[in-house]
Amino acid sequence: MLRVVVAVAVKDLRAELRGRELLPALAQFVVLALVIAEFAFDVDGSTAPRLAPGILWLVLVFAGLVAFGRAFAAEKESGSLEALLLTPAGAGAIFAGKTLAAAATLVACELVLLPAMAVFLGSPISVEVVATVLVATVGMAALGCLLAALAAQTRARELLLPVLALPIWIPFVVVGGRAVQAAMSGQSLAAMPLAGQPLLVLADLDVLFLVVASLAARVVLDD
Amino acid sequence: MTAAAAVRAEGLVQRFGTHVALGPLDLHLECRARLAVLGANGAGKTTLLRMLATAAHPAAGRLELLGLDATRHRRALRARLGYVGHRTAVYPELTVLENLGLFATLHGLGRNEVDAALALVGLAAAGVWRAGRLSRGQQQRLALARAVVHRPELLVLDEPDASLDEAGRGLLDDLLAGRTAVLATHDAGLARELCDRTLVLRDGRQVRGRGPADGEDVPPPPVLATVGRG
Repeated sequence: MLRVVVAVAVKDLRAELRGRELLPALAQFVVLALVIAEFAFDVDGSTAPRLAPGILWLVLVFAGLVAFGRAFAAEKESGSLEALLLTPAGAGAIFAGKTLAAAATLVACELVLLPAMAVFLGSPISVEVVATVLVATVGMAALGCLLAALAAQTRARELLLPVLALPIWIPFVVVGGRAVQAAMSGQSLAAMPLAGQPLLVLADLDVLFLVVASLAARVVLDD
Repeated sequence: MTAAAAVRAEGLVQRFGTHVALGPLDLHLECRARLAVLGANGAGKTTLLRMLATAAHPAAGRLELLGLDATRHRRALRARLGYVGHRTAVYPELTVLENLGLFATLHGLGRNEVDAALALVGLAAAGVWRAGRLSRGQQQRLALARAVVHRPELLVLDEPDASLDEAGRGLLDDLLAGRTAVLATHDAGLARELCDRTLVLRDGRQVRGRGPADGEDVPPPPVLATVGRG
């Protein structure tokens, strides 16, 4: 199964790197969103710690919708998704490979987002901010790709994906926002009580949604 | 079901909403037989082929492929089936080798099978070319290579001659050799050339099935529109 997961992920990433359709557009979107946010909220040194986490998650959520939506829509249209599914590899492994590639795409987007936030909003980049964003990406990608696979079966996929994904991503935004806000205010996440540890809560959400997505993927893709 | 049957369908029906797209249809095809499915646009050819390829569930009826129930044993069957649909479904950004290598990996196969399949369809020299730069006919050859890379026992081909040149059409006989095959085509000449029996569909129903034993020739396309009338 691992061989299939890696092969599908490599295929998606290779196609994206050669086609250069998604990553340049996402990078531009990230920068433009931050420029607009800076003007709209009039962010300065005093307001940045309060506003920056919200801006970060807003940008991340919308970038995720684009990245995950593309993961299945293009292949559904070309018929290549069906060709993959008509192999004995199993829908679960194919889904996992595509999720891995979509998560890597969002991480690439975050590599632009976090430094850009430091430049435009003066937000400090710390290990804790990076860890929070990366841990949240795993669960968001699993759930986002599952819903993207579901939405790809319909004609109104561009509308359906945000309607389905945004409410279910709220836990990531709430917990992740709290963690990033604490980290940007100079608080140590490790000093927080274990029960309220944002990184642990995010990791729990990751496990939950990875299990749900892997169980549901076969039904969504192949039935 | 006899041991030699590769395809057996009983009362096979496919519906889209309330519209009955196919059936009820009974079909029996022995191992290594070649069936051409003929019919006008919308007759149900693709619908039938998609069910035979396990890409779609029958709405009703029973379908056995290679001795296995097509609904319950889809994954096992997919290792033994090859399918080419209307679209070539190649990845344009990947090379020919990468395209076929991916599907070989998904079948648990290696480079040797990829090379053999490319040689079979005449693309051995095009391995490093991007699939998006191939002509439509070459992309169709790549799709055919994908369908046979795992040496399937049953080939299901939807208009496999689409965009193929004369040499490409000549390859089809080699691809079908030693296999059970079901192919949909509008070309009665190709059907006569490649297949030993035909199934003519109209409005999702079987109009007529023929084989060499019937002593009948496959009718040319214009006749299909009038078969069964009057």
